[in-house]
Amino acid sequence: MKKYFLIPIIVALLFTVSCDDQLERFPVDTLVEETAFQSVSDLENGLRGAINSINRGGGQGSLLAFNSIFTDNCKVGVDNGGQQINLINQILNSQGGDQGTWTDRYNAINNFNRLLASASAIAPGVGEDDAYNNVLAQSYAFRAFLHFSLLEYYAEDLMNPGSLGVYYQNVVATSGFPARQTVGENLDEIQNDLTLAASLMPASSTDINFATQDFITFLRARIALYTGDYNTAISNANTIISNYTLADQTEYAAMFAGDGNSTEVIFKFDNVLGNNASIAFNWIFTGTGGSFMEMSNSLFQAFEPGDIRRTVNLDPTSEPTESPTLLVIGKYPPNADTNYINDYKAMRLSEMYLIRAEAHARKAAPDFAAAADDISALRTARFGSAQTEPVFSDVNAAIVRIKEERRVELCFEGFRYLDIKRYRNILNQGVERLPVDCETVPCNLPSSSEKFTFPIPIAEINANPNMVQNTGY
Amino acid sequence: MRTKFSGILTLFLALFVQILFAQQQTVSGTVTDDTGMPLPGATVSIKGTTTGKTTDFDGNYSIKANNGQTLVFSYVGYAPQEIKVSSTTIDVQLKQGEALEAVTVVAYGGAVNSAKVASAIATVDGETIEQVPINSLDQVLQGAAAGVNVNTGSGQPGQSATIIIRGRGSLQGDIEPLFVIDGVPVDQDNFRSLNQNDIETLSVLKDAAATAIYGNRGAGGVVLVTTKKGRKGSGVNIQYRTLYGVAVKPRTRFEVMNANQFLTWQRDLLPGTQFGDGLSDAEIATIAGQTNTNWSDVFFQQGVTVSHELSISTGNENTSSYTSMQYFKQEGITLGSDLTRFSFRNNFSGSSENKKFNYGTTLTLNRSVSNFIVDAARGGNTGGQLDNPFIVPYIGLPYISRFNPDGSLNIFGNRRSGALNADGSVADPNGFLNTPFLALNTARLNTDQETEFKAVGAINADFNFAKNLTIGGSIGIDYTNIELLQITTPGSIRGLITPNQGSEVKGSQREVFFRDANFILNAFLRYQNDITDKLSLSASIYGEYNYSNTQQAEFTAFGLNPALPTSSAGFTSGNTQEGEDTNGDGILDAESELALNYVPGVGSSESELALASLFATLDLDYDGKYGFSGTIRRDQTSRFPRNSTGTFWSVAGRWNIDNEDFMSDVDFINALKIRASYGVVGNQGVGGRYQGLQTVVADPTSYQLGTGYLLGGLVDEDIQWETTNQLNLGLSFGLWNNRLSGEFDYYNFLTDNLFSLNSPLSVAQTGYNTVISNIGSMRNSGVDLQLAYDVLRKSQTNPWSITVRGNGNFNRNRVEELPVNFTGNTLRTAEGRQALTWFDVRWAGVDPSNGQPLYFDVDGNITNVFDPANGVYLDKNFDPTFTGGFGADIAYKGFALNALFSFSADRWRRNGSLAIIEDASLAGFANQSITMLNAWTTPGQVTDIPRLSFQGRAEIGDRYIEDASFLRLRNVTLSYTVDSKILEKTKVFTGMRVYVQGTNLITWTKWRGFDPEGNQSGGFFDYPVPRTLSLGFDLNF
Repeated sequence: MKKYFLIPIIVALLFTVSCDDQLERFPVDTLVEETAFQSVSDLENGLRGAINSINRGGGQGSLLAFNSIFTDNCKVGVDNGGQQINLINQILNSQGGDQGTWTDRYNAINNFNRLLASASAIAPGVGEDDAYNNVLAQSYAFRAFLHFSLLEYYAEDLMNPGSLGVYYQNVVATSGFPARQTVGENLDEIQNDLTLAASLMPASSTDINFATQDFITFLRARIALYTGDYNTAISNANTIISNYTLADQTEYAAMFAGDGNSTEVIFKFDNVLGNNASIAFNWIFTGTGGSFMEMSNSLFQAFEPGDIRRTVNLDPTSEPTESPTLLVIGKYPPNADTNYINDYKAMRLSEMYLIRAEAHARKAAPDFAAAADDISALRTARFGSAQTEPVFSDVNAAIVRIKEERRVELCFEGFRYLDIKRYRNILNQGVERLPVDCETVPCNLPSSSEKFTFPIPIAEINANPNMVQNTGY
Repeated sequence: MRTKFSGILTLFLALFVQILFAQQQTVSGTVTDDTGMPLPGATVSIKGTTTGKTTDFDGNYSIKANNGQTLVFSYVGYAPQEIKVSSTTIDVQLKQGEALEAVTVVAYGGAVNSAKVASAIATVDGETIEQVPINSLDQVLQGAAAGVNVNTGSGQPGQSATIIIRGRGSLQGDIEPLFVIDGVPVDQDNFRSLNQNDIETLSVLKDAAATAIYGNRGAGGVVLVTTKKGRKGSGVNIQYRTLYGVAVKPRTRFEVMNANQFLTWQRDLLPGTQFGDGLSDAEIATIAGQTNTNWSDVFFQQGVTVSHELSISTGNENTSSYTSMQYFKQEGITLGSDLTRFSFRNNFSGSSENKKFNYGTTLTLNRSVSNFIVDAARGGNTGGQLDNPFIVPYIGLPYISRFNPDGSLNIFGNRRSGALNADGSVADPNGFLNTPFLALNTARLNTDQETEFKAVGAINADFNFAKNLTIGGSIGIDYTNIELLQITTPGSIRGLITPNQGSEVKGSQREVFFRDANFILNAFLRYQNDITDKLSLSASIYGEYNYSNTQQAEFTAFGLNPALPTSSAGFTSGNTQEGEDTNGDGILDAESELALNYVPGVGSSESELALASLFATLDLDYDGKYGFSGTIRRDQTSRFPRNSTGTFWSVAGRWNIDNEDFMSDVDFINALKIRASYGVVGNQGVGGRYQGLQTVVADPTSYQLGTGYLLGGLVDEDIQWETTNQLNLGLSFGLWNNRLSGEFDYYNFLTDNLFSLNSPLSVAQTGYNTVISNIGSMRNSGVDLQLAYDVLRKSQTNPWSITVRGNGNFNRNRVEELPVNFTGNTLRTAEGRQALTWFDVRWAGVDPSNGQPLYFDVDGNITNVFDPANGVYLDKNFDPTFTGGFGADIAYKGFALNALFSFSADRWRRNGSLAIIEDASLAGFANQSITMLNAWTTPGQVTDIPRLSFQGRAEIGDRYIEDASFLRLRNVTLSYTVDSKILEKTKVFTGMRVYVQGTNLITWTKWRGFDPEGNQSGGFFDYPVPRTLSLGFDLNF
């Protein structure tokens, strides 16, 4: 009988003694952060994870979708079942409409910061220095890239270094309520990161699917143009332009047909079967076919006959002569495999020509001839025959032409909204849609609208007492 | 060896001597009831033996017994009597009912005298839910107990409900109660395989005094399910039961246009270019004359329910068993949605001769097969899937014919629906226009099936090994194995785009093998003593270990050979290369030309959860007047590595006023008890199983299809359970000979360390919007009331019995503390308000002068500008303020009418389905509500539908936030039980009952849709709960 007595005692003992073992359960399907990064190879896994965490133009929250749909590049598609209706109605407020860019960018930045923190605890082995330095260089380069992306959308005036910028996140923290820095302070940090990246970038890092020295130069040119440092823009553009040639018509068509050509690509986010941030899905039901957003008639009319860009941007299934027109966006086609796998070409050479043209036109002593020459060079490549742009009479005329050229060259690549925003101070134009494109949606957005700067999301405002909201929200 | 042998010998000898010296004689007599009427079929048994007889039609019996033995006389519904044999004639008068003291099933304690319960427990008698054709034991609780709010998201047979006891107690954590079946904690979201006819009682534990013993799993309440056991000494009883039912669609509370209306409306009112534009009246009349499809007719079917059940219960002096087998098949109200199951149960209990050792097993083995449609509750669906059958009655176009030219049902689509081109080739069958056919096609050709094997079983034993001391233990398991089979058939419409449009071979097959095993191991030591003749004490300590292990493996294969359905012999190899050599270089370029369409998907995962606990209980009773109970539990969980240990406790007291001396003169009060309890209970059901670990996810399909490491979301490693401080004050009473009985409870629950996303977190700083941490607090307070009144009681002179009953709950939820202003967008949780309160811009109707939609700004002024900044708290909440049920049981001779109504009031949901059919921007492919015919057209017109050029759902504000309150005739049964005196003559049957039953027959609601119920804040083409009529038959042998 005494042995029965023992049972509860033994059980109780078992619980108190062996519990700790029984209760230490670690996940089978995930790693634990403390032990996840042990080698340079783990860091490379981390790099892929961090790049993968950037919104790469597809899916929910794409800025490619935003730039086209919010502006005058899209109309409601024939197969719309409510998709992106808020966006084409230009609904943009602190509760939504900004595509989650704030969160997406800061989250990706955080991933690079965590990668840098993990790297600091790892000493590269023999022969691993390049691989190790590459991870660091990539992290600094993307950190700069992403912060500038935030500035583009959330800063009201990039030309004014004293105006409100964003917070430059370069530490790993799980708490804290930062205030916004100035644009100037942000730009300094960006340049610091780019300098670091350039110094660490091994010579072997030339894969255009990752950051490279040219990526850094390209970004510097873009930043310089947007912030009004035109001579820097020109010098960096010169460097890039001297290293690459513009795609001819065949190459251009191949570039946007399953990435068959990358002659003029400086940097792209790679999409492959099995890891495809489907860009076409911004406008098209890629699974079933059918457009919920179509190219606007206004954009369609901007393409001239003979321009390869018309062929590329308008899918062959379109019916431009029907009424109403069916204008299927063709820049990111289904391709032979019908999987709509297309890279997001985030840096193309043509943009450098357009940047240099604009910089020449806007610099202190404008060089309108150089500006026109760059436009001519670009158009010659696109038309496959010599095109001569008349020399611009003044800044205004130059910008009108450059804006128009940027629209047809860079449509559906995430520039239209930013361009309209940037040129407001010269052209004083907002979004203006053709009547045929706006039967059921707003026809214009005045240039004075607060919607040319994104609101800081309400979640950040609510949580962070130091965060200042943008004007008008 | 020798000692053992001699021991056996002694035993034989003793028996022999006893038999030898006993004087056997025949005892006979009559058993009557308290009015002197004979009781046929009463049991007469000799105590301590298996010998027993039953009385004949006139109540007479005769049995051989020895002098000094004790006869036990028993009859169902009467108090048993024991009489020592001292003469050869013993007549017995059995007294009805009263001695059958009311019992309540409590945690870890089994059935105890209800008078001695100090906690808040609602008991639902299994009889009230038997044979109700709703197949999830959580669903059937709707309206059955006070404070239990039950909502179901889908009419899929076997669908589990969302149960909230006494208000939403958590924001991000588990809000549902713990379910325990015969001592085994089980999955709270899956009961479809279990036979609810096996249930004896359901005990809903509602306050800390009842649930603190479940420690960090008890905060949401606990539902104890006790299954049927055989009764000792009952002999063999066999019961066969069958049920046949038909389910039909619920009432439609919206109306869509017919073909004529729709085409005319498209032509005359709708901007843009649609099918109706340019048609003359005559053309419209011709089209509408040929085709005017009411898609409701096509998609709703009558779902048949069939059930056959055989149960056998046996019992002799020391053992008893209950065995049941059930075949059950239930079809939903649309094709392709059904449940078929086979359930088996065996419960066995036994005890030693001296009753000091007791043991038992409970075991149920079940297999069910469920077929699913693409409804709003399935998987990650939203309801907006075009192959959801319940979207079609709303948006299916009336001018599209459902028939093929040969008169058969078209399941592919036609030219008018965009599926075919003029030349008969396939166009776009996956498009919006083709929605009805897509839904028909998917339901008929594709497969979404789960085959579940579920076993719940336990072994328990206890031994009263010394005076006042009992030890015991149990081992239990809840085991679920689900095999999911999803086939997209090559010939189906979805098959056309699977794996993608360009692949040469079509179709996909996915199989998932899911296994979930939950073990429980428990040991206890109990001390029980009547210290004086008035004071009694019971104290127990327990050790317990719970362990859960969940595993899943899956594959998805593409490109099926239709000749080899479901076999891997029919899968296309993953290495198959397709694509087109567009540039003619003889190579399929990887970037642009090569397509690997058939690469299979695979997956494998596992997770664990462990919980080790020590707990103790103490119960004191003084003279049946005063009682005190206390529980304390120390839980250690694997879920929160940094805060693994928690201690939870409760104290409770009661005062049975009716037992006081000064009450002895008060005749009309039979029972009067005041209860009070306070305790702290926890909720560890928060987040994932590794919520306390900062994880890094390895993704083998990361950038460039390489492995990528990424933080698995930001976690707070200091996370711990939520604690709820629960106060309960209760009053139980029975008046006028217990004709009126009831319970009234006031409760005040404060959840602290609220598990919430609301921790203020700067994305700019941390990279994350949300981290789940213990922050804030929330209170639920309210009252439960449960009443029953016997209007008439059956007696010798009165063949009628009428009982009316009702229960209700009023609950107030308030977020007491939240560090961030609010979370959520239009359904917000904010400090000082009820969790999940609607916040939106108020719709102010239509401007009669120009047809523009109008809104109220924050100050209540009318404006024509929609601005989210004008949103206000609407004082409308998702969770109901009032819930409950009421009903009546009426019996006359063999007839009985039982009815149960359930209600839920002050509950608001967004009617997204209606918003779609009042959205002109979709009217090119979606049928519209007839209300759209009233769209504004002329200045001065007063209407509630804006001019159609003002389209879109983006700017509707609170227009579709509707009152989803409902009152429902949940179940009504009319039955006839054949008189046992007639059956007696058959010598075979001992009981026979036939009945007709209606389930969800009538629902009163303002909700403009099929079904107001739903467990989501937004209704979007939900699968409605059906109305069911059934006919049943019970036969006892």
